[in-house]
Amino acid sequence: MKKIHILGIVVIAVAIGVIFTSLQSSATYSDFAEASANPDTEYHVVGKLNKTAPIQYDPKINADECSFMMIDNKGIEKKVVLHKSVPQDFAKSEQIVLIGKMEGNEFHADEILMKCPSKYNDGKPQA
Amino acid sequence: MDTTTVNIAERLWIGQIGHAFIVLSLVAALVSAISYYFYSKEELTSEWKKIANYSFTIHSISIIGIAATLFFMLFNHYYEYSYVYQHSNNEMPMQYIMSCFWEGQEGSFLLWAFWNVVLGNILRKTIDAKWEAPTMAIFALVQVFIASMLLGVFIGDYKLGSNPFILLKENPQYANLPFLQVENYIAKIDGRGLNPLLMNYWMTIHPPTLFLGFSSTLVPFVFAIAGLWKRDFTTWQKPALTWTFFSIMILGTGILMGGAWAYEALSFGGFWAWDPVENSSLVPWLVMVGAGHVMIVNKNKGGSLFMTHLLAIASFLLVLYSTFLTRSGILGTSSVHAFTDLGMQGQLVIYVLTFLLICVVLLIHDKLIRVSYIMLSFLMLFFGIVFGYKIILLLIWLAVSFVLTIYSYMKFFPKEDDEESLYSREFWMFVGSLVFLLSSLVITYFTSIPVLNKLFSLEKAPIKVADYNLWQVPFAIVALLLVAVTQYFKYKKTDPKQFLKHIRISALLAFIFGLSAVIPLYFLKDYSSSSSVDKWNLISYALLFISALFAVFCNLDYWMRVLKGKLRHAGASIAHIGFALILLGALISTSKKQTISQNTSQKNVASLGENFNAQKSLVLTIGDTLPMGNYLVTYKGKERKGIDVFFNMDYFTKDKDGKLVKAFELSPLIQDNPRMGQASHPDTKHFLGSDIYTHVTYGVLSDTKEVKDDAYKTPTNFVGHMRDTIFADNAIILIDSIMTNLTEEQYTKNDSLLIVTAVLKATDINGNIYRATPKYILKNNMVLPDEFELKELGLKFIFWKINPNEGSIEIQMSEKVNNTKDFVVLEAYMFPFINVLWIGCIVMVIGTIVAIIERRRINKLKAQ
Repeated sequence: MKKIHILGIVVIAVAIGVIFTSLQSSATYSDFAEASANPDTEYHVVGKLNKTAPIQYDPKINADECSFMMIDNKGIEKKVVLHKSVPQDFAKSEQIVLIGKMEGNEFHADEILMKCPSKYNDGKPQA
Repeated sequence: MDTTTVNIAERLWIGQIGHAFIVLSLVAALVSAISYYFYSKEELTSEWKKIANYSFTIHSISIIGIAATLFFMLFNHYYEYSYVYQHSNNEMPMQYIMSCFWEGQEGSFLLWAFWNVVLGNILRKTIDAKWEAPTMAIFALVQVFIASMLLGVFIGDYKLGSNPFILLKENPQYANLPFLQVENYIAKIDGRGLNPLLMNYWMTIHPPTLFLGFSSTLVPFVFAIAGLWKRDFTTWQKPALTWTFFSIMILGTGILMGGAWAYEALSFGGFWAWDPVENSSLVPWLVMVGAGHVMIVNKNKGGSLFMTHLLAIASFLLVLYSTFLTRSGILGTSSVHAFTDLGMQGQLVIYVLTFLLICVVLLIHDKLIRVSYIMLSFLMLFFGIVFGYKIILLLIWLAVSFVLTIYSYMKFFPKEDDEESLYSREFWMFVGSLVFLLSSLVITYFTSIPVLNKLFSLEKAPIKVADYNLWQVPFAIVALLLVAVTQYFKYKKTDPKQFLKHIRISALLAFIFGLSAVIPLYFLKDYSSSSSVDKWNLISYALLFISALFAVFCNLDYWMRVLKGKLRHAGASIAHIGFALILLGALISTSKKQTISQNTSQKNVASLGENFNAQKSLVLTIGDTLPMGNYLVTYKGKERKGIDVFFNMDYFTKDKDGKLVKAFELSPLIQDNPRMGQASHPDTKHFLGSDIYTHVTYGVLSDTKEVKDDAYKTPTNFVGHMRDTIFADNAIILIDSIMTNLTEEQYTKNDSLLIVTAVLKATDINGNIYRATPKYILKNNMVLPDEFELKELGLKFIFWKINPNEGSIEIQMSEKVNNTKDFVVLEAYMFPFINVLWIGCIVMVIGTIVAIIERRRINKLKAQ
């Protein structure tokens, strides 16, 4: 067996490893219903902030926690507890992705990604 | 497009000039590509050469013409044009006009085309006559594609490219705005301006450098394609080598500038976040580094021919792919700073696939297979456009192309007969390039999750930063070990004993220094409280640390002992030292990054939850001084300059006598822009050994001058049990105990007077405890109002109700208006030894430049 073949095997092993881990570990986009069904699994839930409900944030009580209502893409609304300070321009967000787990009837998120109309792109109002 | 109602003030001529330049540049590039093609077929006919050269010159002038026209419009504020309106305004200083130029997508394509033209002209003036025609034919073809991205014409319903010279009223987003209907509207409007987030010097230098880097990957690509085309796999590599290292240098600089920008001006909390946009500039660089190294092998010994072609071609294809990723809108939510979708997704896919097709076609050295492959590709394209099933067809096509590539390699590609020795430099350099290729493929695969979702209808979420790190650390360790030892191998055959003798001092030093640093850094500290750090991580960090030191020592040693300290020959060693320092700096500053803003405020004592360890934010009220890391920090107040609101903090240290001494000031800011919204900018104090990084995550931007008001606010009602807490703006109040003057027995017998006293313990910000004793007085079944005022804190309490069934009491509290003080919530980090990273960057770039200069000198000497 040539050394080049050993290298080839290493390459294939890495490829299989990468594909396997990405299929196994990486979380999936989901909605509140699925997150409620599996309370111990981490999900990325996509949805919109309910702008009519108040965003609660009192830094004097806990600077690392805020809560709000979010409507997921299936239309289900849940209370969200985000373990972070309230993101800037949160009220203007168009779409949000939360990363976290369901705890009881609340969704507890550690991370949030926001799609704002115009933060890093060139400020065009999106259709 | 409706331009029938011409407004007198609209300067339509300039847009027409601009668009004419675009069309001319496209046509000229096409003519040039075709003529270079024929010129390459029949080298004797100089007629084709003339046409090719002239048309490339015309193309170059047109590209410069487009840029000049756009710049002229921006400089003179021609707001009737959409691009000018969207990206500039009247107050814009000169250096930002440049930034406006490349802020939008069209402008950045133009910048790309411009650099290509610059490099293309240098290339055709310096290249051997033999390679001129085939390389320039491919070069011109690439320019056809880039110019078409600026075209903005409709073919049926499909818009090809996006024209930077359309009028505001031709842009569907603005066409219906009322001010456009007013006559002479141009005099009345001001542009929307540059995104203030981008208004810093990074925006002036980062994009041009990065795009020059992207452009530079094109030159090795055209050489490699020309090599496949002419079936001369070796002679192109010598002229291409300098270009490859130029590309490594400039693209590397561009990427690192991006990292520095993120660290200095954006609030990522770091310099690298594995964002798809960052990844897609890193990946071509990794591949280019691999290409450069196998080319050196070929120059000295020969052998890795296929790998060289593969890497040189892949680097540019990955630039194209990253253009597709970041500009097609496919990243969606997985990137914070991808461009908006301009509807060019289909076009970008076709471009990437076209160049892939060209590569495979040139690789197949069999007319029948070649023609059937081309026919199949066009049939599939046609079928896809007419009948759909695009995704399945694409997957089939990719599979067919892959199989044909493997087949062609086996069948048509020259291969080395003798196997490389395990003790040879060429073997380990080949392995190193393979490691870089693998690393880049893993990153590409992870970054492409949104693409895979689309292809296979999956719902996979993007890969986390921790997973990227987990996968890349082993690659980094192997790469560093190779960087350390490979130069001690000779080409072809090395004496193993000699080799071990050479590296043993460096190895010993690396172990001694490495272990003595790694043990206190990673193994003596108790990590049981934090879950994110597991043992495997610590071991891999330790290995990375030691390998980085090993690489530094080996290269220093090689430079000093083998090269006798001569600078001229030391390019590679210096660049390798830089590379090792970058990884070392990144490792220490990231793995030992410390959150120093943990909430130390007295106020939070009551709410210490399970998440206390994860707390990152510190609440700082004006005038307060709180400990943060080794410092005490005071919030002095805020000031507004234009749209920037600065939050001024003083950092103090304690001197020997325990007195506070001011160490430095930081003023992180929140930018309050009516158009773009709020953005937080950090402020960082740089020390030699570490950086103190601070940014405001929450702050009230409106001016809250302290109100001199003694009045009380309207009271709020609290329902509470024993030991419950009430939060006031300036204190935490604990319901400590409840006392009565009567026992229950006495009360039932004699109902004349009942007094229940609630003992409240109020703790203020400084930890002082005050007592409040509001009373509930019931006389003859009537509650008598009784108010308790806690003057020191400006609080009033009325104890007005008892709910015996729930066992709770109700208290009304009112606070003085001026109890509410301005405060900020901030996050602060300490990045240790981040300077090692930046020094590494500079060292690596210097090393690469030294190597390029030396390469040019040798080439000149040989030419003489």
